Amino acid sequence: MRIVFCGVGALGSSAAMLCRNLDATLGFVDFDRVESKNLASQAFVKPSVGKNKAEALKLQLSNFHGIKAEAFGVRLTDDNVATLLDKADLVVDCFDNQKSRLLVSGFCRAKPTPLVHAALAADGSFGLVRWDARFVADPEDHEGQATCEGGEHLPLIGLLTATLARSIQDFVKSATERDFMVSLSGVIET
Amino acid sequence: MAILNITYNGMSADYGRPIDDRSSDADVRRYAVEIVRSGGLRGLCIANLANDAFDYYVVDRFDGPQGQKRIYLRPKVPFGADR
Repeated sequence: MRIVFCGVGALGSSAAMLCRNLDATLGFVDFDRVESKNLASQAFVKPSVGKNKAEALKLQLSNFHGIKAEAFGVRLTDDNVATLLDKADLVVDCFDNQKSRLLVSGFCRAKPTPLVHAALAADGSFGLVRWDARFVADPEDHEGQATCEGGEHLPLIGLLTATLARSIQDFVKSATERDFMVSLSGVIET
Repeated sequence: MAILNITYNGMSADYGRPIDDRSSDADVRRYAVEIVRSGGLRGLCIANLANDAFDYYVVDRFDGPQGQKRIYLRPKVPFGADR
C-alpha cells in the first residue's frame, strides 16, 4: 500500500510518524523548508533545519526508524498532481490552504482515490478528521494566515494527529472511513 | 428534528433538546448564542456571550450512525501546517 501525505507541517509530519507501524510506503509532498520555529510543533529535528520538509521527514523515518518513504519536494499544482498522486492507495490532506485542498479533492474524486482530510482552527482550539465525501474546505480569513507560531497549539496538534493516524489505520485494516471532531475536551466521532 | 452539537472555546457538547432540522444557518447560530448564555450546554455557560460569537462558524448537517439528523456548529478549520 502507498499512502501519500500532502503537506507535512504540523499535522502531516506528526501523523506520518504515527503511521510508521503500517505495512505501507509513505510518500510526502511539500515544497517548504524546515525552519527553527517549526521544531516546536512539527516532527522535525534540529539537523533537518534548512532541508526540504518532505525530504527531511523521509530521511528521519528512514534513518531513525528504518521506514521506507518517498519525498516529493515540490508544490502540488494542476500540472503535477496526477504524477504525484496517481499511484497512491490513500491520500492524506494536511495542507494549510483551501486552494491546495480543492486541488487534492478534485483529483481524488475524479480518479477515484480514498482521501482523508485533517484541519485545524486558527486558535488551536479545535480540529477535524474528515473523509472526503463529507469534507468542505474552509477558507482562510485572509491569504497567508498563520497558526501555531511557537508551538502553542502542540497539545491539540498531538491529539488531532493521533486521531488522524487512528482513522488511517482503521482504513488500512478494514476500509472503514471514520470522521472525528477534536477539541481539548475530547474526541467525538461524527 | 436534529441534535445540535456546539463547539466553542475548546469545548464541545450536544444540546439536550432537539431543534428543527430545517432551521437556517443563521437561526442555528442565533439559537447557539442563547443556549450557551442560558447554560443549556453542559460545561459551557457564558452569560455575557456576544451576539456575534458564532457569526464566522460553520454549520455542518449530517445523518448520525443510526440515521438521526445532527447539526454541528464549529469553528472554521483552514489549517493543516505551520508556516
